[in-house]
Amino acid sequence: MDGLLSVCHGYEAKQRIVRNLIDKVMDEINEGTLLKKNLIWLELTGCSGNIISLLNGANPDFKYLMTKMANLVYSNSLMTAEGEDAVSHLVNVMNTDFILAVEGAVATKNNGLYNVIGKWRGEPLTALKAVKMLGEKAQHVMAIGACATHGGVSAAHPNPAKCVSVQSVLKRKVIKLPGCPCHPDWFMGTLAEILLYDAPKLDAKDRPVLFYSTLIHDRCPRRSFFDKGIFAKKLGDHTCMFKLGCRGPVTRTDCPVRQWNKYVNWPVEDDTPCIGCAQFGFPDLMEPFISYDTTRKERE
Amino acid sequence: MPTQKEMICMRMNQIVRELNDNTNCMYWVQSHYSRYVLLNQIKSKIEELHFINNLICIENEQMLRDRLQELPNQREFTLAELAEYDGKNSRPAYVSVEQIVYDVTNNATWAAATHFGLSAGKDLTNEFNACHEGQAILNKLKVVGKLV
Ligand code: SF4
Repeated sequence: MDGLLSVCHGYEAKQRIVRNLIDKVMDEINEGTLLKKNLIWLELTGCSGNIISLLNGANPDFKYLMTKMANLVYSNSLMTAEGEDAVSHLVNVMNTDFILAVEGAVATKNNGLYNVIGKWRGEPLTALKAVKMLGEKAQHVMAIGACATHGGVSAAHPNPAKCVSVQSVLKRKVIKLPGCPCHPDWFMGTLAEILLYDAPKLDAKDRPVLFYSTLIHDRCPRRSFFDKGIFAKKLGDHTCMFKLGCRGPVTRTDCPVRQWNKYVNWPVEDDTPCIGCAQFGFPDLMEPFISYDTTRKERE
Repeated sequence: MPTQKEMICMRMNQIVRELNDNTNCMYWVQSHYSRYVLLNQIKSKIEELHFINNLICIENEQMLRDRLQELPNQREFTLAELAEYDGKNSRPAYVSVEQIVYDVTNNATWAAATHFGLSAGKDLTNEFNACHEGQAILNKLKVVGKLV
């Protein structure tokens, strides 16, 4: 497999495209033709998985991205400021050019009181209020991860905090990067595209085509097993996991060629079926994640 | 004034010519960015072909459904019989839409006999119409009988 992939130009290009885009941003920033923009990373109802995933970025790494490409003005997980001092960064950025990245869903129950992200002038600042306030002023809004793009795990049944997507509370275009979590390259590449070309090319669901245009199933190394009807009966079998419930055929990402954790591996190559984490409606509509009772023979 | 059919035919021929040109360009273009632009153009042309094809197939699909309804010697399923084809324990996975029973056992979007929260062995007419109305996709499935 490695031998095959190393001679495939499309595969090589995929590996390099984010790096190439970011190098172009850097060149233009150094030449003075492009200005660094302020970036706000807002964490709402979620698990902080996307910021952790981003910290795992390799090409380039997070530090490079945030010091050379953009000014990270606010990230509640990473900044040193706290309390109203931290919130003042959010308020002050409102009059500048800034890009808003949101991870986590928007809790709407009790007018947003199920998720208070800080205090401003003694009043609680709800996630709902913050995302509306910043979302209306930002040059671009990016929803990062499953919860922000479509509600995701936070909006799964029975959805006690009445969580919704970022798009549901904003009347403007929201660039959507689904995935649980979002791959660091998908975020960094899209940010670079925004800085360079202002508007990245999006599909009908507002996902950047650069990363979300092809079905996992269409580039899966186990596809020939699917086509021949050779199916895994249990986890650990090295054939197609369709009968165990693989959601690769309904999920669009470049996981098979990009891979995760600094390009080491991805679920199917590690004998785990795709659970459709980048499909709208995940997790409820992608369940069950694993089924053992489809291939088992009926008892005589 | 060309007829609608002639216009569709002309447009399809034009798209095929453009696709050929784009694919030829792919052979000699070196830059990744240009290849990416070309690939995008090819993709949007394929989408346009798919759209036109859909328009034609929707008409055909309705005709096909009407025809299937009238065909003699079809295996007949009651809802209870259909429920046995739930894809479990190596049983096939069948679903019905508008009284026609289809086999989804090896359809890629029906992994483990489930599809976006739905499971096989049921009549899914309402669910199908809610999500796929106007899409000519049923004609890709094998018909196994009709629901009575
Ligand atoms: S393992 Fe999943 S993605 Fe790969 S071929 Fe099988 S069904 Fe498709």
